[in-house]
Amino acid sequence: MLTLANVDSFYGRSHVLHAVTAEFAGDAITAVLGRNGTGKTTLLKTLMGLTDRMTGEIRIDGTEIGSAPPHVRARSGIAYVPQGREIIPDFTIRENILMGGFARRDGRRVIPDLVPELFPYLMENLDRRGGVLSGGQQQQLAIARALAADPKILLLDEPTEGIQPNIVEEIEEIIIRLNREAGMTVILVEQKVDFARRAAMGFAMMEKGRVIAAGPIAGLSDDLVHRHMAV
Amino acid sequence: MIDVLFIGLSLASILLLVALGLAITYGAMGVINMAHGELVMVGAYTTVMSGIWLKLGFLASIPIAFLVAAGLGWLIERLVVRWLYGRLLDTLLATWGVAILIQQAVRLEFGLSFLGIHVRGLGPGLQNVSVPGFLQGTFTIGDLGINTYRAFIILVTAALTVLTWFILYRTPIGMQVRAIIRNPKMAAACGIDVDRVNALTFAYGSGLAGIAGVMMSGFKTVFPDMGTSMVVDGFLVVVVGGVGSLAGSVLSAGLLGEINGLVASGTNDILARAVVFAVVILIIVLKPQGLFSYKGR
Repeated sequence: MLTLANVDSFYGRSHVLHAVTAEFAGDAITAVLGRNGTGKTTLLKTLMGLTDRMTGEIRIDGTEIGSAPPHVRARSGIAYVPQGREIIPDFTIRENILMGGFARRDGRRVIPDLVPELFPYLMENLDRRGGVLSGGQQQQLAIARALAADPKILLLDEPTEGIQPNIVEEIEEIIIRLNREAGMTVILVEQKVDFARRAAMGFAMMEKGRVIAAGPIAGLSDDLVHRHMAV
Repeated sequence: MIDVLFIGLSLASILLLVALGLAITYGAMGVINMAHGELVMVGAYTTVMSGIWLKLGFLASIPIAFLVAAGLGWLIERLVVRWLYGRLLDTLLATWGVAILIQQAVRLEFGLSFLGIHVRGLGPGLQNVSVPGFLQGTFTIGDLGINTYRAFIILVTAALTVLTWFILYRTPIGMQVRAIIRNPKMAAACGIDVDRVNALTFAYGSGLAGIAGVMMSGFKTVFPDMGTSMVVDGFLVVVVGGVGSLAGSVLSAGLLGEINGLVASGTNDILARAVVFAVVILIIVLKPQGLFSYKGR
């Protein structure tokens, strides 16, 4: 269970998140929805501690992490797959994956068991540079890097955005499996309502830096989508 | 001809020795450490002092100078630089201030000279270090006479370069450093303690400056201002080589050293220096990112 109480978050002088209070159920996928620029990405960055400043409380199973620096949050079990992947182009695929392992509490830095199963292509090309991969493969690599941390909570920021259609479905299935089979809590920033409805158990709708509606996914009505996501 | 190339190589190794630490602090952390030359000076004074007070020889002072300079670098990072990450001009000014502080601390014997107390080995005067006998003179390969101390500097520089390469590319801490160079926020999100790694990196770069100081003390007089000009040479190498690239620094030190050596052998040192600056300007105009910059995301 990940809870936010009264979280405000800032980049420099711009105040992006306003008094966000939300609950992300453990072992569930929660979709964070909303138009562009409503603070979805900032919400994930705030959870990871990557904005310039934040106030309020963030708790993982009751433990306060809101004042901890990013690496401590990573080591307490949150892994982040950012928008735009942010893999390191001149690191090999192996190095990119192992980089995630610095967040493991037991200090083991290994390629996680799930990787060969989920991403056979990466396993066959461990010594190639990350930069040569296609967008979809880079997305897989970013997920593999997150898995190397052996996380409890996975933050995914529009994981299928800008990716060739044949890989989109594959990545969607992987996200669902990570939750259903590996038992990870997933917080998924998403624009595609149909995928959110198919995968998620809960949702949070954002507008102007606030969570304006949240609850079980069944509560995500067409009316709500129309009001807060239609462009 | 070969003797000219050898002199160029030896000039290059001195350039690289100073630049190596800078390549790390500037490359990894984007900090223009104006006090780097003073850390070289501190290394040189450590050699002088450990000779006078600890009766230690030249070689034994190498690890001591590394530790002293690294410790001082660590302090500079913790006390000053860490508050200024991402503010390039502020770090430049602040470390310049630190440089002046260190210089004056040596010149004024930590302020003790005001009290009439003098510490042997410090003060505004010139100091000399004697190099052990087996590093003096020349040896010959074929009909080529080689200055033993120049050869020693080349060897030390090569060893430190290989060590630095090994740390950066073959150890977990090196991987953390490289990850921070490329993407500090993502590195932090992957569980890397950026603060701690930065402090260690800064200390290591400073330690290398300390060793450079020991090497300098073997063929130059030691005085409080000696580091000031070196930091300029160091930055030339780093900027030409490409920020954050070890291979670039090695190549650019080699290039600049050889140009200096070749031109100087035909004409004189002053013209050689002018040619080096001209080449640097040309390279920066043509390749603003340096010879070996990594391609951005």
